[in-house]
Amino acid sequence: MDDKYKFIEFLGLKFNVANDLSALVSAILVFILVFSLSRKITMRPGKAQNVLEWMIDFTDSIVKSAFPDGSGSRFSLYAFVLFLFIFVSNQLGLIFQIKVDGFTYIKSPTTNPLITMSLALISLMLAHYYSVKKFGFGTYLSNYARPVSFLLPINLLEEFTNFLTLSLRLYGNIFAGEVLLALIGTVAKSFGLVSFVVAIPVEMIWQGFSVFIGAIQAYVFTTLSMVYISRKMERE
Amino acid sequence: MASLLVLGASKIALGDMLFILISFILLSLAVKHYAWGPVTKMMDARSEKISGDLDYADQERARADKLGKEREEALKNSRAEAIEIVNKAKDNGDSQKKTIVADAHSEAETVRTKAKQDAEKAKQDAMQDAQNDIANLSLEIASRVISKELNADDQKSLVDSYIKELTVNNETK
Repeated sequence: MDDKYKFIEFLGLKFNVANDLSALVSAILVFILVFSLSRKITMRPGKAQNVLEWMIDFTDSIVKSAFPDGSGSRFSLYAFVLFLFIFVSNQLGLIFQIKVDGFTYIKSPTTNPLITMSLALISLMLAHYYSVKKFGFGTYLSNYARPVSFLLPINLLEEFTNFLTLSLRLYGNIFAGEVLLALIGTVAKSFGLVSFVVAIPVEMIWQGFSVFIGAIQAYVFTTLSMVYISRKMERE
Repeated sequence: MASLLVLGASKIALGDMLFILISFILLSLAVKHYAWGPVTKMMDARSEKISGDLDYADQERARADKLGKEREEALKNSRAEAIEIVNKAKDNGDSQKKTIVADAHSEAETVRTKAKQDAEKAKQDAMQDAQNDIANLSLEIASRVISKELNADDQKSLVDSYIKELTVNNETK
């Protein structure tokens, strides 16, 4: 889309205001969600605590499926925050799209490839860090030549494809969803009242579908992150 | 968006990456401090409590089983004891009965033998008395015979008178 963004230069780095503001809003929403759900922690859980524990159990099950031996409990918090953050980010643009003077300020932060790449980088960095920590640097490097040495280039290439597929899958799904939402919005305005009436149910259906896709993509991203981390922590 | 990727690194907003990283780390820390930590701690405590309760329940059940078995054993023992007591009492009663009957028998025997002896003695006494009487009588008769020279008639009347006297004597006796 031909959205325009405001940029800020700070310490020699360029900041996209729309991305950063949206990410900040998502983070704050996630925090408000878990903060409000965790106010009364008791042995016999109330409604809010049950919801929170259900979410924790859900992400824990993702971690457990990637680490069947139970060694992945240190990644539970990461999976929990990652899932909630991506989920809220995906839904944010379905609810708010704030534009002022043609400049976008609030959207889904995951409609920008840089954001999804950052998230993928966090996951892959964790994977490599824990691989080195577990095996030592030498074994970590020699793991690229396993199970047979001629797979070395393929393994190296796989690192980049993992990174690209992980980030661009999320970006593509959410970006396409929002593009279609914006297109339907344009259609609604094109022929006056008639197209408006027609466009509203279509928009509703697509929004519902996007909520579904956003949830699925958050699940997929979290699952694949855990799978990459667990694969880096075992010898083939 | 494609232009953003193509136009090169000079225009890429690398600050976004830094911003995302920092905000994500801060979010993680905040979530850990305010929600994740307390909730997972409580979940662990709960699972610990549940397993502890289950263990406790198992222990209690084992204890109750043991106690029940002991009770049953005691009940069985007491029943056996009661039967024993009753049997003992019955035996006691039997033996007591036997001794009483035997005592009574022996007592009766002694009484009877004593009575027999008494009767024997009385008979002997009576015989002795009779003998004495007869001896006296014959002495008297003899003395009378000697004192009187008697003819046949006299003798007859004499015998008659003595017999009469005897009967009278017998009647008066």
